[in-house]
Amino acid sequence: MSFLTSLALLAAVLVGAPVAAHLLRRKRATEVVLPTASLLAATPPTARRRSALEDRGLLVIRIIAIILLALLGATPFISCSHVAVLRKDGASVAMVLVVDDSLSMRSKLTEGTTRFDRAKNAARDLIDGAEPGDSFAIVLAGSEARVHLASTTDASAARAALDDVAPSDRSTDLTTAIGIARDVLRGVPQPDKRIVVLSDLADGDPDGAPLEAGEGVALWYPLPDLESKSEADCAIVATERRELTVDVSVRCAGVPSERRVEVVSASDPKTVLGSATLQAGAELVSIKLPENSPAEVDARLSAGDALAADDIAPVALQSKESAVGVLADAAAAHVETGGPPPVEQGFAALQLGPTVRPLSAIPEHVEELGPYAGIVLDDPPGLTPEERKTMISWVEGGGVLLVSLGRKATAAPLGAGFGSLVPGVIRWSSIAPKGVDASKCGFFSSSANGLADIAPKGRTQLPAEATKDAETLCAFEDGEPLLLRRHVGKGSVYLSTLPFDFETSDFALRPAFLVLLDRFVEMARTGGGAKIVEAGKRFSFIGVSSVEGQVMPAGEQKSIALEIPAGQAPRIDAARIGRYLFKVDGAAETRLALASEKEIDLRPRKIAAEAKDPSLGGEARKIDASPYVAMALLGLMVLELLVRLLSPSTETAAPTVPTSRAA
Amino acid sequence: MSKKDRSPFAPYPTDWGAFAPLRLRARTVAEGVYAGMHRSVRKGSGVEFGGQRPYVLGDDLRFIDKRSLLKHERMMIREFETETDRALWLIVDATASMAFRGSGPGSKYPFAALLAASLARVALSSGDPVGVVVLGGEDGGRMVRAGAGREAFDRVVWALSSVTAAGDWSSEEDELARALGPVHDRARRGSTIVLLSDFVDLPPAAMAAVGALGTRGRRIFGVQVLSPDEIDLPFDEHARFRSLEGGVVVDADPAAVREHYRQKLAELRQRWSDDLVGRGGGLILSSTNDSPVDVVRSLLLAVSGASAPDETTRAAARGGRSR
Repeated sequence: MSFLTSLALLAAVLVGAPVAAHLLRRKRATEVVLPTASLLAATPPTARRRSALEDRGLLVIRIIAIILLALLGATPFISCSHVAVLRKDGASVAMVLVVDDSLSMRSKLTEGTTRFDRAKNAARDLIDGAEPGDSFAIVLAGSEARVHLASTTDASAARAALDDVAPSDRSTDLTTAIGIARDVLRGVPQPDKRIVVLSDLADGDPDGAPLEAGEGVALWYPLPDLESKSEADCAIVATERRELTVDVSVRCAGVPSERRVEVVSASDPKTVLGSATLQAGAELVSIKLPENSPAEVDARLSAGDALAADDIAPVALQSKESAVGVLADAAAAHVETGGPPPVEQGFAALQLGPTVRPLSAIPEHVEELGPYAGIVLDDPPGLTPEERKTMISWVEGGGVLLVSLGRKATAAPLGAGFGSLVPGVIRWSSIAPKGVDASKCGFFSSSANGLADIAPKGRTQLPAEATKDAETLCAFEDGEPLLLRRHVGKGSVYLSTLPFDFETSDFALRPAFLVLLDRFVEMARTGGGAKIVEAGKRFSFIGVSSVEGQVMPAGEQKSIALEIPAGQAPRIDAARIGRYLFKVDGAAETRLALASEKEIDLRPRKIAAEAKDPSLGGEARKIDASPYVAMALLGLMVLELLVRLLSPSTETAAPTVPTSRAA
Repeated sequence: MSKKDRSPFAPYPTDWGAFAPLRLRARTVAEGVYAGMHRSVRKGSGVEFGGQRPYVLGDDLRFIDKRSLLKHERMMIREFETETDRALWLIVDATASMAFRGSGPGSKYPFAALLAASLARVALSSGDPVGVVVLGGEDGGRMVRAGAGREAFDRVVWALSSVTAAGDWSSEEDELARALGPVHDRARRGSTIVLLSDFVDLPPAAMAAVGALGTRGRRIFGVQVLSPDEIDLPFDEHARFRSLEGGVVVDADPAAVREHYRQKLAELRQRWSDDLVGRGGGLILSSTNDSPVDVVRSLLLAVSGASAPDETTRAAARGGRSR
């Protein structure tokens, strides 16, 4: 509120004036000098009482009038911004509100208001301004993008759903969110379809193609001031504690600067256990802790960047290395240009670094597989009983296994099958369809289109036992699976019916192959032994009977109970950076969620110029309420006239004889 | 208690308004009034010839008609008609209440003073001596002994115009008796006494004191001088009314009590009228809005006995009111 507005509203204190005038008037009547006053009779008090009652009504009217006058003076200065949609020929509008609930939206836009608050208020304005026939859907753009509310014409339901949306520490996935929004709009009957982007556009891909809706759907970006300003930001993306040493990995975007890193007690953030200076441009700092330091500690960056929420992170307790083992026959799956097998080269392309370890053979003891969160078997020639037992035990314990089945796997000698990992008898077929059905390969996202003409020279046919209770992640045109997933115990087995060699197909050269490896590693980390994920990813619990949990957001002292979905393999979103405390089948387990590196880059993604077209609507920054206030004033004047007209006429008072004599 | 203390509004500004200057206004009024309405019936030495009669022993030899003696050798005595000594005493109320103007052209006291001066002019023109007593006033009142001639008029005008209405006489019976004492003592039989007042704030014994003046062959008349506001009570809103004498304060709604007020005013006037008529006099009501000529004429008619000095006179006076 501006000074002038305050000044105008201050005039409202004049409401005391009529009260004072009324009291003064009541105290002393008008004095008239009249020599013959002694002949007058004092009027009975009834007349004065009537006057007093009439005055009180008028007094209230005048007090309200003064307040309205003060408001009238202030209205030109009162800003009441709200977002409103402009309709084409008054037609109904189907809107999908893409609300960005990512970490970057928690930055402050103005004092006391975050970008998320602004986006949510704008969404509420749009819902409040709904006309009959308008429909609303809500898609949340925090990774993973998801539908929060399916399209509905019930504004109250939309309003209630919007109230449930809370800010998170997720990364941003606007591309997927807009894609989902487009899918939501596909079946709606309204002629005017719009995707309303309420985001800062900081999705970590500033150089990506401009965001657009396509398919006859209008993309509308109503809040240009919400756009991120490319500010500098640093975040703690990884922490690890070994004995009394804490390693803190920091990533920065924008101009690097020297920062102070502290390790504090999780239960008492004021207790600093150790600190170090992170030089500008450095990404890793080690901090030595004193003896008898508490087990649960947090790492904290000194303030001074755009986002404060990613400046603090829980420190992982001496985590085990979660490596991925690869067993591939270099002779069978060789590359003409030389080098390791395609699977290893694929992992190398993903830059997973030393976590990928080639295996020469499958260990015979499950303990030897302890460091591995995932193992890839590229067309293995069957498993010996010892190997089979080891692998089954490892997978049931939570390991994630990727097996490509090719000629060698189908030709495994008797007694060297895969057991419960791949039930039944698998066969090789030299006849295969031209490619996959992209619509049935959501696992590969847009990369599935690259498999439409893969034309393999053969494929493995799985028995019904193997596909039963399995999830088909990608299928050929004839419906037979290319990739499926089976849950075994707490772990998972991914089965590819194409081997990763180049003789059968060039599957290993397609982008979808890298997607497969990336998802596999991710699943290995989240669903396997790994206990640390990026905020927005999910914790998986496979093969457990009961899970309870709560999250202690970093920097906060109050825990939040988690809603655990029912089922054999519950997956829980890690929406907040912090420490997740689970009770899995009665056993306590702590997992961590840290900031995503993608969310550090606050440079905005480009958006199609049409999205800012004023013809779509916009923000009415100020509402001139003066006409309404003026109308209210006129109404009060009429009311006062009515009160005067309807007040009882002067009654003839019976005169009284006595007169008062002043002392 | 001083006089000043007795009146919280004293000296209330006396507004002469349209009644000034008193001398000229009085002369104009007097010229409009028929003079000489009260000729004497007693014959003797005088100025107008009244006939002859035979001389009898003892007649004043100065009145023997010499021409008749020389012409007819008869001794005749010339007789002349002469006016009786009907002195006019004017008692003018100059207490604080007479300073009230209201919506009239001037305060009540100036109007009363104009009437008094006009009467004095008329009387002096007829050869009657005129005396004046002013009741109240800022410096305690005035008295001019009865006298005739041009100087008498000047003294009357001076006495009336040099007074500012003030003083609370509502309870000053002694003061009133002291002021009326000279009139009581000096006015002879046949004298006419005129009291010009609003008759509102006079002390309770005023009626008896005034009535005493109407004895021993003297006639007393009253002229009640009121402001139009006092007669009609034209106020609309509820107000606190304060008198100029007596400290009366009344909270009243004029619209509600107007009729009652008029009734009380009529009762007051009727009491005085009954008393004065019973003593051979009468009471005339006048408003400061009335034409002073009409009021003076009405009074003179009443004095000469042409008409009764009652409400009829009042109506005639009002009918000739000049606006």
